[in-house]
Amino acid sequence: MSIIELEGIYTAYEGDDKPIIKDLTLHIDRSEYVVIGGPNSAGKTTLLESINGLVKITHGRATVCGFDVGKSGHEVRKKVGYVVQNFYFDPFTPFTTEQVVIMGRYGRLGLLKRPSEADYEAASKAIRLVGIEDLAQKTIGTLSGGQQQKVMIAHNLAKEPEVLLLDEPFSNLDFSAREFLQGILQDLVKRGTPIVMVSHAFDGLPDIRIHLVVMNEGRITKDLVCPAESVEEIIRETSFSKRNSESAAKRRSHGIRSGFIAPGSARSR
Amino acid sequence: MLEPLIQNNVVCHAVEAMVFASITCSILGVIISRMNLSSIGFTMSHAAFAGASIGMFLETSTQIAAIAFSMGVAALIGPVSDKAKMAADATLGVLFALSMAVAIFLISYMQYLGRGLSAGSLLFGDVVSLYREEIYALAAISLLSVLFVLFFYKEICAIMFNMKIALASGMRVKVVYYILLFIIALSVALCLNIVGGLLIFVWLVTPASIASQFCNNIKSLFIAAPLVSLLVSAFGVWAGFEYTLPIAPLVALLLTGTFGLAVLMSSKRKVTTRMH
Ligand SMILES: Nc1ncnc2c1ncn2[C@@H]1O[C@H](COP(=O)(O)OP(=O)(O)O)[C@@H](O)[C@H]1O
Ligand SMILES: [Mg+2]
Repeated sequence: MSIIELEGIYTAYEGDDKPIIKDLTLHIDRSEYVVIGGPNSAGKTTLLESINGLVKITHGRATVCGFDVGKSGHEVRKKVGYVVQNFYFDPFTPFTTEQVVIMGRYGRLGLLKRPSEADYEAASKAIRLVGIEDLAQKTIGTLSGGQQQKVMIAHNLAKEPEVLLLDEPFSNLDFSAREFLQGILQDLVKRGTPIVMVSHAFDGLPDIRIHLVVMNEGRITKDLVCPAESVEEIIRETSFSKRNSESAAKRRSHGIRSGFIAPGSARSR
Repeated sequence: MLEPLIQNNVVCHAVEAMVFASITCSILGVIISRMNLSSIGFTMSHAAFAGASIGMFLETSTQIAAIAFSMGVAALIGPVSDKAKMAADATLGVLFALSMAVAIFLISYMQYLGRGLSAGSLLFGDVVSLYREEIYALAAISLLSVLFVLFFYKEICAIMFNMKIALASGMRVKVVYYILLFIIALSVALCLNIVGGLLIFVWLVTPASIASQFCNNIKSLFIAAPLVSLLVSAFGVWAGFEYTLPIAPLVALLLTGTFGLAVLMSSKRKVTTRMH
């Protein structure tokens, strides 16, 4: 059984009748590195938030980590890490980096329980792994955008999630920081924690096979496995030919090119 | 409770009431100002004010009527406010205007009927003629606020940091959020007698703002805000009796003055640290 199974889901934001995600089917296995691409407002963020149940699924079936997302959203969110796309912490936010990272453990603890020695250990391990020891005692609002992104990644690593969702996590980071964090993500994948990342920056992708999902207007237009170096080209090609020919886009959304392995079919690597 | 310390019974009760009200309001105020819940607190306090004036008009318990009304706002606003869309703002504005209209209408009418004296206490508070039970109720609510923060410290920190990130972490933060709204409603209604419907907002936001001039750490905020509020309020009560001044407005002025001073001092501090 896949760790993420979405079967024909529709999701709509509260108060809207028009669905954002439409009839979307996606399977993600353990130890996959998934990249989600596509133009602005294609529904990438909404897809991530459908996976962890922050946005309501109106139709279809969604099972994540063995839980029904609609019924047991809390259980899913305890196990799924999520680095959010847009955050803003004002300069007076009264929490230090260290405090923000330990908050990553809170979901697993449950109401009224205090963090234990083991929780603090996991938090400081995450801080060391991301290399932000020097920021530990600084308040998060006084850090740069890139440093804040690193803190939010550490927050999610401290959680020791079963799946890690990331929404454009590297937008404020320079190339070397990107490459460094990609290395951490690759290690997670190796140890059986799948990564699902929305991104526009593909330099520094680990040299492994990537499960690439391209979205447009709330639907998946491409779902295939390819080498890391082809990711950028395929995404560019998809959005380019989209402009040229509608019918071609339609054909692509059904068929999968030869040379790539179809989603859902037995993937071996 | 402070009788051995303070000879005069009236002064003693006034100090006690003011101390409990200031602890409760400032602790909740730290959360309220961090979470941008000010407009909710504002609306609740005025709904409590309207409730109290209805209670007084009908010659029933002002306190129970005040609690009922502010709880009503909490129940009405809660489900709207935790949605990201702050369409709640318009709702709050309407409720605020309605509350003020009802309260002012009834108070004016009571003045016309010759019951103006007691109605005035709703506006500006009355620390002089408190019943013992009212002080016990205030003691209970300040204990409740302290316990709430202690028990749910982890959840409160998480929602003060960022509601969405707290939700994504799998915490059951909505439960805590609703408890918070109801404790605010209850506190606001109970403190109304002491500080009055027009001034209660000062107790809610000013101490937290003073503390945030000096503290950038969540724990110190939760300690400094009630401490400052308590000291200023106790001093205000003493000064009010000593020089026969209206107590609640005096304390409100003192708190605001302290805030101004804190801003001056903290900006000076920033300048000196920059020079080093
Ligand atoms: N909170 C929201 N309420 C209503 N509509 C939303 C909300 N967030 C996003 N949308 C809409 O959903 C669509 C997809 O947005 P999103 O998932 O953020 O796209 P992407 O992440 O691919 O840029 C957009 O048309 C956007 O307007
Ligand atoms: Mg997005």
